[in-house]
Amino acid sequence: MTEKYIGKRLTRNEDPRLLTGQALFVDDVEIPGMLHAAFLRSDYAHARLRSINVSAARSRPGVVAVYTAEDMGDAWQPGPPLVSPPPTVEDIVFHSRTQVPLVKDKVRLAGEPLAVVIAESRYVAEDALDDIVVELEPLGAVVDLEKALEPDAPLVHDDLEFNLAAHLIQEKGDYAAAREKADLIIRRRIVIDRGTAAAMENRGIVAHWDEKSQQLTLWDTTQAPIPIRNGLAGMFGLSTHQVRVIAPFVGGGFGPKIMMFCPEEVVLTWATLQLGRPIKWIEDRRENFYATNQERGQVHDAELALTHDGRILGLRDDFIHDTGAYDPYGLTVPLNTQCHAFGPYAIPTYYGDLKVVFTNRPIVSPLRGAGRPQGVFVIERLLDVAAKKLGIDKVEIRKRNLLPPDVFPYDNKIIDQAFVSLVYDSGNYRPVLEKAAAMIGYDRFLSEEQPRLRAEGRHVGIGIVSFIETTGIGPYEGARVTVETSGKVSAATGVGTQGQGHFTSFAQIVADQLGVSPRDVNLVTGDTSEFHWGTGTFASRGAVVAGNAVNAAALTVRAKILKLASKVLEVPEEKLELEDGRVRVTGVPQQSISLGELAVLANPLRGAVEPGTEPGLEATAYFGPKYGATASGSHAMILEVDPETMMIEIRRYVLVEDCGTVINPLIVEGQLHGGVALGIGNSYYEQLMYDENGQLLNASFADYLIPTASEVPRVEIGHEETPSPLNPLGNKGVGEGGCIPVPAVFAQALEDALADYAIEILEVPMSPDKLFELLQGKGKEQ
Amino acid sequence: MKIEGEYIFNGPREDVWELVRDPDVLVTALPGAKDLNQVGENEYEGEMNVRIGPVAGFFSGRIVVSDEVPPESYTLSVEGKGNPGFAKGTGRVQLIEQGDGTTLMRYEGEMQIGGRLAGVGQRLIDTASKSMIRQGLETLNQALQARVAARSEGKEEGAYKPPSEAEFATAVAKDMAGEMLSSARTRMILIAIAVAIVIIIVAVVLISTGGGN
Repeated sequence: MTEKYIGKRLTRNEDPRLLTGQALFVDDVEIPGMLHAAFLRSDYAHARLRSINVSAARSRPGVVAVYTAEDMGDAWQPGPPLVSPPPTVEDIVFHSRTQVPLVKDKVRLAGEPLAVVIAESRYVAEDALDDIVVELEPLGAVVDLEKALEPDAPLVHDDLEFNLAAHLIQEKGDYAAAREKADLIIRRRIVIDRGTAAAMENRGIVAHWDEKSQQLTLWDTTQAPIPIRNGLAGMFGLSTHQVRVIAPFVGGGFGPKIMMFCPEEVVLTWATLQLGRPIKWIEDRRENFYATNQERGQVHDAELALTHDGRILGLRDDFIHDTGAYDPYGLTVPLNTQCHAFGPYAIPTYYGDLKVVFTNRPIVSPLRGAGRPQGVFVIERLLDVAAKKLGIDKVEIRKRNLLPPDVFPYDNKIIDQAFVSLVYDSGNYRPVLEKAAAMIGYDRFLSEEQPRLRAEGRHVGIGIVSFIETTGIGPYEGARVTVETSGKVSAATGVGTQGQGHFTSFAQIVADQLGVSPRDVNLVTGDTSEFHWGTGTFASRGAVVAGNAVNAAALTVRAKILKLASKVLEVPEEKLELEDGRVRVTGVPQQSISLGELAVLANPLRGAVEPGTEPGLEATAYFGPKYGATASGSHAMILEVDPETMMIEIRRYVLVEDCGTVINPLIVEGQLHGGVALGIGNSYYEQLMYDENGQLLNASFADYLIPTASEVPRVEIGHEETPSPLNPLGNKGVGEGGCIPVPAVFAQALEDALADYAIEILEVPMSPDKLFELLQGKGKEQ
Repeated sequence: MKIEGEYIFNGPREDVWELVRDPDVLVTALPGAKDLNQVGENEYEGEMNVRIGPVAGFFSGRIVVSDEVPPESYTLSVEGKGNPGFAKGTGRVQLIEQGDGTTLMRYEGEMQIGGRLAGVGQRLIDTASKSMIRQGLETLNQALQARVAARSEGKEEGAYKPPSEAEFATAVAKDMAGEMLSSARTRMILIAIAVAIVIIIVAVVLISTGGGN
């Protein structure tokens, strides 16, 4: 029997290159004659640009050019909206205001670029920034989400009457009537604040317009090379064949790198077109804090209506979402929040009033989790409060509300981020929750361990939550699979790669179809000259959408192989099998031909090719799901806190994930580990602190704390597999799942650990200071 | 950021008033400061090259004196900006005669800080500003005592030698370390984000009745 690779814990094909420093990152690109760019950024969050004088900077030796918005002429245009406003909801308000390449009239966030210096070296470029004289008239800043909507608030966009970017009401059933019938109403104000992705590699671009070949090449840390190529070609009047965008290895995407188009992409492209010389810009860490997109700021007024036995009758979730100074990403993030507040539960009625506000802070676009952690935090916190009030166990109240396995596909009857009805394709939530409870020893902890620890005066608590995650959304991805004459296989796809293990997972898919070793499958990814069509790496969709495209292409190549081999070996196709890089006659292993030989025969130098056949053992295929595949999971945590120092220790972390078919458990678990680490940061460490003037107060890793190895526990992982019916591989995305429920499970465990203080955690990120304040006045008898 | 504090000068109020209206003396209390130039009746501009820790660069500031009640009080508006960011604030300074030959200076104000100063230096701003103000005032007090002593000996000028930039920085660092230890702050990275604070010192100590030399 042929060896199957899907489901195997295969070490990653890309790791030898990455670990020995042989992988190409944008900053590794060196071209003779290359120039370097540095951006002058505003120190003010909100200010009118009165004047800008760059003449001294231009005359500094080594400076090649200095550009402002005025210099760009007609090329200066606000960026395109990335996601069109939702068309399907009545009475929707949506004001599209997109980012600009360089500030022309008004600064709307601290860090917005005012000018760019192009010089022979980065040193010279940075020195020349000091030569630029800028006159900015500071304006009052909009920072607080609720104050943003007050009538006397300063306006981020002067042409709007208010700072309201969008307003949308979604309803399912009659929430008001359900509320009337409820035995218990839980209403809470819940606040979630911003964090940054803190990718190991900051953004970077090398833009090179070659006059002679009339080719523009852009090495870019983008998550979406093909849309960047298409967009830049359109902006600058080039054919897409003249533009090649290469997203080489990227040290972490996490969402912000899907931003299209960040000002730097447009400015560098325009500048290389002016100068005809390659230009490099590598973002430094401080720029990353100020100028790279962020996420998560929301203020919820949420209400859950329940029966006396803990069954949900309805959910109301009114919230304000901070979109930052611009809203190129439309409603993607807050719609995800609305949808994920439904969780894996049967919620018969819903009312949600969503207001999106402009603030003088960096642009908000999806950041790993993309609105989902907020929605999960809201529903899980409300359930926890309800469980406490009703005296129902935390696992039990969840079980009572989980959707049963026979309801799928299940339509939640509200629209999701793709503006179609939120449908869960498949799921089986109870075994996932039960497995997580069993793995962490939930019952034993409550009955034996916790009482013993409490008797010792220790504060140790347990948390357990469930969630769903919409993944693998369309529109589509494509792939081309080719058997080379060497017998090795190459596969090309349009998605970029930022550490997801595509080189291995996709190779496993091809290997299973073609009977080759995954080590002999070479993947090409993120280079628009290698694959022409696609969208990008986001929304936990790579393995689902691109993975199934790879599968479809490999399947077609397999058919071509069998057809040709059948002719060559003079044996019917049904009697052939693919194994070890050869086509063999079943039962007659000595009668065989290698894939390499077949590839030569498939592309003959002489003779006639039969009409209707294509040369080579190659196929291109596309895959687009009807709608997203719904992954699910349960996370559980045992946490100890010292109410004197507010220091915490996560003693155990268990998660059970159902992402359908697992292609490579090692990679899936790596994704989950990373996700949990981010989630822990979002829970207790990572908060961007802004003052009332929109100044970021912790713009370095000395003050913005990301969890390190000492804060991240060993994560114990269990899998359940409910295959998605929407794609042949049956898989679902898992790139974000690790981080999504962490703040919710953290808050529950922390509350449980401090049960004698009777606190409610209704805000994340928490921090030692905030916990200290919360415990003040709630102290038990000392 | 709120700034407030008190300092006792060992000298009579008129002398303190005279001292703090003398830009030449003030510059000596601000290491790294170039001169302070009068640009209007009650308006001064100064420049300062600051190079401490990760926050380094050129800073230019403008100071406006108003609501002057010699020799009792005045209001300062300060605006400074440069590569390290910007600072903007107003403060009220009072000189109160103690009756024992000393003068109490009381100052309070609001400061707004932005850019790298705020983003990278936030953690130390409070401590650093207090320390630098204290050291600056210490320097002025020494100058004052030198003047007073010189006068009692019947000389024209005191033989006062201001501290070098390095001496000043050392004193600030020591002061900050003490402050941080005593307030149980755990991290002792003495980066000094003090540009804005230096400007504050200028502000706090500068005085003008419109006639400085």
